[in-house]
Amino acid sequence: MNNRIKEYRARFNLTQEDLAKKVNVRRETIVFLEKNKYNPSLRLAYDIARVFNTKIEDIFIF
Amino acid sequence: MKKAIIVFVLAALVLGTVGLWIYSSSGKFTPVDIVSFGVMFLVVAFAVFVGIKRLTSAKRGEPAEDELSKKVMRRTSSLSYYISLYLWLAIMYFSDNLHYETHTIIGAGILGMAVIFAICWLIFNFTGLKNE
Repeated sequence: MNNRIKEYRARFNLTQEDLAKKVNVRRETIVFLEKNKYNPSLRLAYDIARVFNTKIEDIFIF
Repeated sequence: MKKAIIVFVLAALVLGTVGLWIYSSSGKFTPVDIVSFGVMFLVVAFAVFVGIKRLTSAKRGEPAEDELSKKVMRRTSSLSYYISLYLWLAIMYFSDNLHYETHTIIGAGILGMAVIFAICWLIFNFTGLKNE
């Protein structure tokens, strides 16, 4: 599963640390997500999509 | 924060015990003792690394544990348990040929389990859990 977190993060001018705080995870988790080394839970995917005001399927490409 | 402090306290206790061991011995160390010291220092270094990581997360205002770290810990526990079974099988197989005391063999097994756990954690922590 690929994702566009980095692209959306740049669009919203958020650092990895900012996004991590907003979705209540560690910065390392965001790093792993962006490198496609970790598939998030549905809850985390939903929280990330909500931060970017979009749908899960716009960020996570199955 | 509390967990990080507990990790540091445990590491200090292990270091203190090793220090006492070195102090109470007559200064003559067998190769087994030297290997044991090395492995214990590796385990302590691992604990300090984990503690520093947790403290850094706490300072940044992030949670000490999240879904990835919990999954890494779960996966590490299961894999290290599985590998440890083989370690104990190997120890049981070779124990007839090894002329060490029982407590030395059991100590080596426990240290081996700690090393296996640390290695598994490092692997999962740096490579991620893509297919979980």
